[in-house]
Amino acid sequence: MPNAILDPTGSVKSKAATAAAPRARRPASLNGARVGLLINTKQNARPFLEEVGRLLTEKYDVTLTERTKVNFAVPEPDEVIKELVADSDVVITGVGDCGSCSAAAAADGVVLETAGVPVAAIITESFIPTADAMAALRGAPGYKYATTAHPVAVLTEDKVKERAAQVLDDVVALLTDSSGKND
Amino acid sequence: MTDEAPEGSGALGAPEAPDPDEAQRAIEYCYDQGWSDGLPLVPVSRPLLDRFLATTDKEPDEIIGSLEQVGRDVDVRTAAINAAMAGCKPEYFPVVLAAFDALMRERAARGGGFQSTSGPAPLIVVNGPVRKELGFNTAGGAFGPGFRPNMTIPRAVGLIVRNAFGIHPHVLEQATQGVPGRWSICVAENEEESPWEPFAENGGAGGGVSAVSVTLTRTMEFVDNRHTPNHEDVLRDLQDTIGRIGSLIFPQTSVALVLCPEHAQMFAAAGMSKADVQNWLIERSGRTGREFRLMGKESVATKTFHGPFEGDDAFHAILSGPRQIPVIVAGAKNAAISMVVRIFGEWSGTAVPVVEKK
Repeated sequence: MPNAILDPTGSVKSKAATAAAPRARRPASLNGARVGLLINTKQNARPFLEEVGRLLTEKYDVTLTERTKVNFAVPEPDEVIKELVADSDVVITGVGDCGSCSAAAAADGVVLETAGVPVAAIITESFIPTADAMAALRGAPGYKYATTAHPVAVLTEDKVKERAAQVLDDVVALLTDSSGKND
Repeated sequence: MTDEAPEGSGALGAPEAPDPDEAQRAIEYCYDQGWSDGLPLVPVSRPLLDRFLATTDKEPDEIIGSLEQVGRDVDVRTAAINAAMAGCKPEYFPVVLAAFDALMRERAARGGGFQSTSGPAPLIVVNGPVRKELGFNTAGGAFGPGFRPNMTIPRAVGLIVRNAFGIHPHVLEQATQGVPGRWSICVAENEEESPWEPFAENGGAGGGVSAVSVTLTRTMEFVDNRHTPNHEDVLRDLQDTIGRIGSLIFPQTSVALVLCPEHAQMFAAAGMSKADVQNWLIERSGRTGREFRLMGKESVATKTFHGPFEGDDAFHAILSGPRQIPVIVAGAKNAAISMVVRIFGEWSGTAVPVVEKK
């Protein structure tokens, strides 16, 4: 009887969630909502999110708070998550336009949803597989986020604003539930 | 059962010839599980694993690294399986452990490095008596191939990241193009022909001990200068490559200089220590704001991350101190060709001693 061939993938898992991660309840509308913008510091992320914020303020009279991520490449630390939960009704994060920051945006989304905050993560289309993989790893397979074409970093100011306008409806749809029932 | 015994195996107690067909089946099995980096793996059995575990005092279930964002830890046992799969000999395992320890000290490795579009590779540098003991290449062809420790030890690290951390290409691993030779870059310093202290000493492991230093590299570019007796000409040539704008994306950067023995000895003969070489290059490496602006990189020619453009006429220096320009000596003393290694992030500054079983 030959020896078994050993498995190199290990069995030691640490604390990141593998149990099913719940999606937060959505408000029926964004009227007067406190919107937290979590800017990941990538090129054009700030003008992109600020324009989304400006459009939401015009349409729904939201109040905005802005934060920049501690490290764009990894999910936010617990202290920042707690702050976001305390001062935001909904969060918009982005722009996930690289290998690590796209996965981190998905992870931030899943973590905040578990804490009860609806999130619209904005991720560029090139990174859909990695965002999906990270969401599944975090217990939220099929987690929904908004996408925009890649690249964003090289866009002019005007084009960034156009993109923000294009993604607005998706963002609103992700953050609200007007059907009267929640997923 | 072999068809034909090879010559000399008829004596009592001689081993049977290995079965290549069975070996091929086992190799294909490993490919089918998705464990491979593309090259054939050594199928690992319990007896082989035990030989690896016997080389260290660490317990098999001791955690030696974590990647928090993917929720995975790796323990000694899993690292040993991957090292064996990579083709390491059991006696290489303490070096693998030191290399992995050194790698996980890099902030970029614990962060998004393995997922990054840059596709960076560990640059593993080995110092001390272990180089000769295990048969590392310490001379010509420092970047490979041809020598089992130099090739299999970085491969082991790559397999740990793939299999234990679960970072697979096109899924969590998102390199645009990546570095050629990723997971195969392991240089044993040519201490014998270096005019300076061993690199491990710069990382805090002095006294001639065996130690491993690791940083992450995005790529490397050669500087071939065999043209002049003037050491400052060669320094200017290095400076020119270091300042290449294509490799710069942030206001500050790090490079490792892997100097060939000829260049290192030329600088030393001119009275320069390693620190002198570093300082010379720190003061001069960079480009004017205008040169950055012409390539659309005003955001690089700034004093701080996201700060304002310094202006066309400002000279933007890109190395902020000696830790941003580690210096290693490697290769043969047969041509004046050195390597500028682009560092992803910043070297931790630490050399990790190789600890063998007591």
